[in-house]
Amino acid sequence: MARWAMVIDLDKCVACQGCSIACRFENNTPAVKPSEALKGRAIRWNDVFPIPINPEEEESEEYPNVKTRYLTRPCMHCANPPCIKVCPVRATYKDEEGLVRQNYDRCIGCRFCTVACPYGVRYFNWHKPEWDGELAEANNPDRLEGQGVLEGPAVRPLGVVEKCTFCIHRLHKARARAEAEGRELRSEDYIPACVETCTGKARFFGDLDDPESIVSQFEQSPRAFRLLEDVGTHPKVIYLREG
Amino acid sequence: MSNPLSRREFLVLAASAVGSTTALASLQRLLQNSDPDSVDIRLITGEEERIVPGVCLLCPSGCGVVTRVSDGRVVKLEGSPMHPINTGSLCPKGQAAPELLYNPDRVQGPMRRVGERGSGEWESLSWDEAVGLVAEKLANLREAGQPQRAALMFGEARGQLRSFLQRFMQAVGSPNTISRDSLNVAGAKLATYLTQGIYDMPAYDLENSNYVLSFGASLLDAGPVPQRMVSGYSYLRQGRATRGKVVIIDPRQGVSGAKADEWIPIVPGTDAALALGLAHVIIRAGQIDSSFVHNYSFGFDDFPNESGTRLIQGFKSFVLENYDPETVSEITGVPAATISRLAGEFAGSQPAVAVLPGKGGLLNGSIGGLYAAMAVHCLNAVVGSIDRPGGVLRQRYPAVRNWPELPDDPIARQGCRADRVDGAGTRFPLARHAYQAVADGVLDGYPLEALFLYDANPVYEAPGGERFVEAFQRIPFIVSFSSFLDESAQYADLVLPEPTFLERYEDHFIEGFGYPGVGLRQPVINPRLETMSVGDFLLRVAREMGGPVAEAFPWQTYQGVLRQRLRLEGADWETLQELGVWMTPGYRFARRGSEKWVNEVVGSERRSAPRDGYFDFYSRELSCILETLSEEERERLGLTDDGNDPNLPRYVPTEFVGEEDEYPFMLNVITLMSLGPFTAAANLPTLQEISGMTVDVTWDSWVEMNPEEAHRRRLENGDEVWVESPFGRVKTQVRLVAALRPDVVNIPYNQGHSAVGRYARDRGVNGLTLLNPESEPVTGLAAFTNTRVKVYRA
Repeated sequence: MARWAMVIDLDKCVACQGCSIACRFENNTPAVKPSEALKGRAIRWNDVFPIPINPEEEESEEYPNVKTRYLTRPCMHCANPPCIKVCPVRATYKDEEGLVRQNYDRCIGCRFCTVACPYGVRYFNWHKPEWDGELAEANNPDRLEGQGVLEGPAVRPLGVVEKCTFCIHRLHKARARAEAEGRELRSEDYIPACVETCTGKARFFGDLDDPESIVSQFEQSPRAFRLLEDVGTHPKVIYLREG
Repeated sequence: MSNPLSRREFLVLAASAVGSTTALASLQRLLQNSDPDSVDIRLITGEEERIVPGVCLLCPSGCGVVTRVSDGRVVKLEGSPMHPINTGSLCPKGQAAPELLYNPDRVQGPMRRVGERGSGEWESLSWDEAVGLVAEKLANLREAGQPQRAALMFGEARGQLRSFLQRFMQAVGSPNTISRDSLNVAGAKLATYLTQGIYDMPAYDLENSNYVLSFGASLLDAGPVPQRMVSGYSYLRQGRATRGKVVIIDPRQGVSGAKADEWIPIVPGTDAALALGLAHVIIRAGQIDSSFVHNYSFGFDDFPNESGTRLIQGFKSFVLENYDPETVSEITGVPAATISRLAGEFAGSQPAVAVLPGKGGLLNGSIGGLYAAMAVHCLNAVVGSIDRPGGVLRQRYPAVRNWPELPDDPIARQGCRADRVDGAGTRFPLARHAYQAVADGVLDGYPLEALFLYDANPVYEAPGGERFVEAFQRIPFIVSFSSFLDESAQYADLVLPEPTFLERYEDHFIEGFGYPGVGLRQPVINPRLETMSVGDFLLRVAREMGGPVAEAFPWQTYQGVLRQRLRLEGADWETLQELGVWMTPGYRFARRGSEKWVNEVVGSERRSAPRDGYFDFYSRELSCILETLSEEERERLGLTDDGNDPNLPRYVPTEFVGEEDEYPFMLNVITLMSLGPFTAAANLPTLQEISGMTVDVTWDSWVEMNPEEAHRRRLENGDEVWVESPFGRVKTQVRLVAALRPDVVNIPYNQGHSAVGRYARDRGVNGLTLLNPESEPVTGLAAFTNTRVKVYRA
């Protein structure tokens, strides 16, 4: 069984926000009204933002010795995800390939998970997703459906929580294609939209259980770190330090 | 509902569960039964899926894209893995392109003005009528023997369209095909011309460079080909055995400076001094490429004048005399030790390259901006980084840039000999285009009778653009081909919307790697609205006009133009449609002094000076041009003899508009990765939403200030302020940015629209309205960085 993981090389990332917007158009998260965006209610599953410098580790921020840092942040797909423990209805769960999934059909919008997630990557639909005029024409028709299950880019109902899925529908598509071609799924068949679009080629995706995979190799890099390593979530998004 | 447990049922059940253990038990049972792991999950997707290649046009890069069309709808764009600029990547602008295609504010079809100019009253007309009106207007001008009274202003056209538009105007008989270059790349192009003898942006071999010194270039977010720079940067960082070093020289750190190894916050407008200071240290340390400067360049050492009576000072002794690190440090604010170190690193980390910006500090309203660009380019020559791996490359293009001879036509011939409305070549002797000066030309009495605007919105995008509103009143016939009713189109008489880049045929030359290549746009779906591409429209106009104009354009459609002419280049149309890109990859360097070197790399485009393959440290071309000027002309241009030889690059202090006492800050109008340089992008809601990521602003403008300066004025993050220059004032919010020189403030470009559409209109401010509208007198470049402002609480 695969253990999907992402590597983000901050030395190559140029904070262009391509990942953020590739995700938006892949996963149908509409732009919100300016007043809502001001309240921080814009939904971008993979946001990019400047981060403050840690004064304990680095020089203080005095001009001209200032360096802005940028971070790009998808769902970490933790091996030990706090969000699923607080979900009262099993709307969010970890599947056997380690993906932390979100079933919109079960979510009751209690937002326990948004609070439990230490990375702030769970987003609540304060409004029904809406597109002006014909903008909805561009919606991705892909979605996962089953009895009591609605996942992937499916347009969300009002009042549910949503988040990065590592483009789970792309995994299903890749699998269907491999099956149609009568072969095993290869790691490179499955790439989330943000990884595909990355302008700095800073993102890598693959299977941590495969020691040969690019993500397994980068995991060994001396530049590798994870966000909030000490809280025990064991993220499967691995960052590589600049330099 | 067939689902075992929908959300609503759950809520009902949960409510009844209170106080009922039976209900609770059944609830738990239900939850277990519908465990998603055990449910059969189906993937739903489109019935009919297609992938169509094309080329993006939301910034000048021209990235290859592949568009996913699902059941006839465009649902997603990806970068094309085949295209060398982006090899599969795509920035947020390209990703947001479906919002351009399906934008609710696009012009639905051809429109004719019915009310007063700018009143917003329109009626639709047919394309036949539109063709008839335009053909009649041009025919009348030709009949009157005044075809030069027609002008076309254009913005982005990096494929054959650029020369197609020019050919059309020439066939009609007008010299007035005016490019937007003077707002951005013309400074760098001119500097390359005056030194290397090639009128073009240099390409840079970042992939093989060990050391990149970027002057004022927002290398990674706002250069002339941003994605090409990002690709090169990314490879140089972690794509090869040794990690290359990047230094950003810019008053503002920005994303590029933040990602660089070193940020040099230089005093604005002093790049020339720094470049020459670096050259000074390199020359003194003997780290020059001796073979290059002595065998393949002109004017490095002192040289005798024509009559051999005296020595003329060359680059070397001029630089050694005037630009020692201490002096340069005084001018630039960069410590002398840093200058020496950077010079040592640059010369010692070969191959190294100094990169020119697309705009920024070079456009500072004085000829000093041009000298700065020449100085930077000369820095490459000092270390021999001209046409060698890791250095400067000469951009080649497919030969289709050359068109068949125009038919002999006395009317056109005479018209084309007339002076240009923008003063390029006359009022501005070095200029090839002076876009922003069209307004001045018209207001000074140039009798323009027809103006075409192709991807041109001068009212918004030129410093002091309001002058165009006034100038437009004097032009009886204005046609805009814009897809949106932008600030300029709203004053037009005809608006003839072109399809978006996803709905039309067009090619786009690949720039940035040196080798020739072309990407193809094609309609990925049938055009949604009543649009016509400008190429198709002008072909119809030419046919309607008949005579020599029609003869010059024998093609039926613009697609036909591309198809026939690209085939001549050896590009198979079907393959091109399938791949979206055709190129001859692999850059071939020229041996110094070889025939190829002389014919293609150094000097081949000089108009006056010898095309001898020598790189000019001392610009003979500039000398030839300046020699033709009378004493009065020189005076008018501010080229009075200050004791310095005008043909050597040198530092000229910027003459700022606005006294420092009253206006303490230099204003810098910055281009963002998100909103980019094109008007239409401002009307994409997604780009509006992410536009202020670096400073936590959304759907709005801001002014960036150094925190200390802000606090001195008791200003905090988010405070409303006026930013005022001698030319006007705008109200916006302050953002404290520590990585910014204290004497500079920045306002992002592409907000503050008064038109375009619902997402762009009345949102934030347009910083360009504060800028000095005067063009630089010699080069005709717009002045982007010589205006001072004050900032005070609103």
